[in-house]
Amino acid sequence: MRAVRYSVDEALASLWRSRQSAMLSTGTIALALFVLGGFLIGTTNLQRLGAEWSSLAELSVYLRDDVTEAEQHAVDTALASSAIVESREYVPKAAALARFHQTFGELADSMDSLGRNPLPASYEVRLKPVRADAEVEALAAGLRGAAGVADVRYDQQWLARLRSAIALVGRVGLLVGAVFSLAASLTVAAVVRLTLLARRDELEIMQLVGAPAAYLRGPFVMEGILQGGMGALAALVALGVTFVALRARYLAPLAAALNLSAVHFLPWELSVLLVAGGMLVGCVGGVVAAWSR
Amino acid sequence: MTSLIETRHLSKLYSRGVYALRDLTLTIDKGEFLFLTGPSGAGKSTLLRLLLRQELPSEGELRVGGRDLAGLTAAETQGYRRTVGFVFQDFRLVPRFTVFQNVAFVMRVLGVASIIQQRKTFQVLKWVGLQHRMHAYPPELSGGEQQRVAIARALVNDPQLILADEPTGNLDPDLSGDIMNLFREVNARGTTVVVATHDRELIRRVGRRAVTLDHGRLVEVA
Repeated sequence: MRAVRYSVDEALASLWRSRQSAMLSTGTIALALFVLGGFLIGTTNLQRLGAEWSSLAELSVYLRDDVTEAEQHAVDTALASSAIVESREYVPKAAALARFHQTFGELADSMDSLGRNPLPASYEVRLKPVRADAEVEALAAGLRGAAGVADVRYDQQWLARLRSAIALVGRVGLLVGAVFSLAASLTVAAVVRLTLLARRDELEIMQLVGAPAAYLRGPFVMEGILQGGMGALAALVALGVTFVALRARYLAPLAAALNLSAVHFLPWELSVLLVAGGMLVGCVGGVVAAWSR
Repeated sequence: MTSLIETRHLSKLYSRGVYALRDLTLTIDKGEFLFLTGPSGAGKSTLLRLLLRQELPSEGELRVGGRDLAGLTAAETQGYRRTVGFVFQDFRLVPRFTVFQNVAFVMRVLGVASIIQQRKTFQVLKWVGLQHRMHAYPPELSGGEQQRVAIARALVNDPQLILADEPTGNLDPDLSGDIMNLFREVNARGTTVVVATHDRELIRRVGRRAVTLDHGRLVEVA
């Protein structure tokens, strides 16, 4: 405990003494985590967008015009017994035509000119939000093979593409964050090494009197941790200010255009992780400097 | 009297094939005051570095208190060094620390409780006659005062052995005498003192056993 207190005291004193170079490394960490945090905000909101769009996606089962009552009943039973079906609605041919008239009034005349109702009866199926793509695919495949079913439509493909795009954005963010974090670690290591060189006489005396490693290296590791923590907090503040500044003018209209309920800031768990990550980056820099002297 | 330091055929060979110490066999008793003397490059400082375990012997054996220094682990080396005090020609005080902090620093980095640090630091500063300068910084002190601070720092941890490398090298003869008197008092309390110096006059005035080295070899014991 004394070693920790000694390390904290010495690290704070050292940061104050070399505040200009400490600001440089803290700023580098802040920049790295600002970029990473920006990507995280983007990724978490895109994930919410994907989830919201997925929950709205429907499975449509179109029935043949000559479907028998027994065949329709079999389709209805298959949907009712499926674990991934939230609700289902049967839309008869007449109701489908009425909806068409309501939605596409200007095209209604051309539809009427056909002299018959070309729209099929269908089931509109709302799926449960938590489900596996394979389950949906299996249900759709089963229905396609059922007697009396003309077609089954599900927006599986574009949802899968959306998820891939979100994952790609996340991976790019992590990669950029990792590169910036490495640069930040090296900057911290360089700055801590400067401190170490400035204090080499002290360190030599400490070694000669038999000071434990915790006292010899602890202050430098702690200096890195403090720089990382401060950098991360600075990044969070900058992210918050930027988010608030952009929210009303750009982010809210963008969310509305994408049919996303709202754009959110980083969840608190990720904010805590970001600070912990900053401290880890600083710690790595401190450890590299302390062990390379 | 029992021996504290024993060397047997001790040699230190540097990479270019130069022997800094060669085949040195020497015994220093507990409580003894010993001078190491000889010209520059004789091997005095090398022996002190070996005794501080800053370097390891190339050949032979070096024992302190019965322990072979070459065989110590990192943790054992830390423990051993806590029993040794050291004084250098250039004082090696930390300029940003006050006199008090320079002395207390040793105990601070060994995790000694703050109240004990303060009590022992004050005691040892009083003993070297610098309690009135404890808030001063090293650059504000004379050379003699700085060396007394360094001696206080070496003593504060109650070492069994004091190693001093040319401790009067930067001081005038009067101050050198004062510093030697301090070492004699330390020795009178039972601490073994080994002083490396090339100052023959100083050795004559103090009048203790002197081991003369030349080109790494022991050439005279007087």
